[in-house]
Amino acid sequence: MSARRKSPSSQQSALLRSPRILLALIVAVAILVAALMVVLSQLGSAGGSSASSEDVGKLYSGIPQNGTTLGKSTAPVTIYLYEDFQCPVCAQFSRKTFPEVVDRSVRGGEVKVVSEPLTFIGSDSVPAARAALAAGEQDRYWPYAQLLFENQGEENSGYVTDEFLKSQAENTPGLDVGEWSSDLKGSSITKQLQAAQSKAQSAGVNATPTLIFSGPGGQTKLVGLYDYEQISQAIAQVE
Amino acid sequence: MRGKRRGLRFVLGALAVVGLLISGYLTWVHYAGVAPVCVGGSGGCETVQASSYATILGVPVAVLGLVGYSGLLLAALLRGEAGVYLGLLVALVGTLFSAYLTYLELFVIHAICEWCVASAALMVGALICSAFEAWRLARAP
Repeated sequence: MSARRKSPSSQQSALLRSPRILLALIVAVAILVAALMVVLSQLGSAGGSSASSEDVGKLYSGIPQNGTTLGKSTAPVTIYLYEDFQCPVCAQFSRKTFPEVVDRSVRGGEVKVVSEPLTFIGSDSVPAARAALAAGEQDRYWPYAQLLFENQGEENSGYVTDEFLKSQAENTPGLDVGEWSSDLKGSSITKQLQAAQSKAQSAGVNATPTLIFSGPGGQTKLVGLYDYEQISQAIAQVE
Repeated sequence: MRGKRRGLRFVLGALAVVGLLISGYLTWVHYAGVAPVCVGGSGGCETVQASSYATILGVPVAVLGLVGYSGLLLAALLRGEAGVYLGLLVALVGTLFSAYLTYLELFVIHAICEWCVASAALMVGALICSAFEAWRLARAP
């Protein structure tokens, strides 16, 4: 009887049949898969939405801004956007739908948007809304508001600190931070904030985001998160 | 010995079913565009769900959860070594990725979603079950 040598392929399959080798392989594959998922998650987050000051500058470039109004004053349709800077669905709307509304409906002069900042979620909503309104004094409300949504923290966790607000101001293109800081304390901001709350009350707004479309064809209302197609249907309804 | 193994597979299957329910609910919440019900009334789940980390290449993380828990259920139903290896692979990937998601919640998004914490705990449980089964398999003569 002659001794048989194992062929390389049978040696390989013998190795794979060893539970220890297989377990080590599984651990290596699991680490690789998890690492790939983490990388994809980070890439998606960086490319997708964390708006830099350059991004917010680009979105609103060439579009007239007047206080909390975005778009040409002659636009036939006005969208009154009731939002709370602490509201996660508002942040989602700001990130997913709003850029398309700006590019496809506001830029061409068909629509103007008026933001009505509400403060019903809690104490952190007030300084956030005041800070955005103070940016509005320099007609930089919209980019500032977008940065607030992009950097939103957990509701009423105390994340809206003076440093947080100042850092958004520093990242807002074209905003004079010193002027913004002094406007922030002014009584004009308090009045604008109160006006938005009473407007919401008389319009029966009790959730955010609420969009009221107003135009020659009448009025319609959407509450919650909608995509651009649904927004454009509502615009067509009131045109 | 066989009874213990069946017991572990039963636990793994039960964890997978609970995980499927949680990820199924979060998937529905994502596509329906509604806010998830958050235990204790905090808005943490809404914040996490609305964050830019809630999807990977356009796929909601909750859908990845559905895939993972389906894999764990399959592993619990499969007899023999294949089930043990599949369970270990899925539970290990799931636990590592859950650790990353928990890090994001604590240090990046600054909001905690109880559903995600529950899912992470289920994955750790599944990993313990699978690792124990794999350890027994490796020790078997």
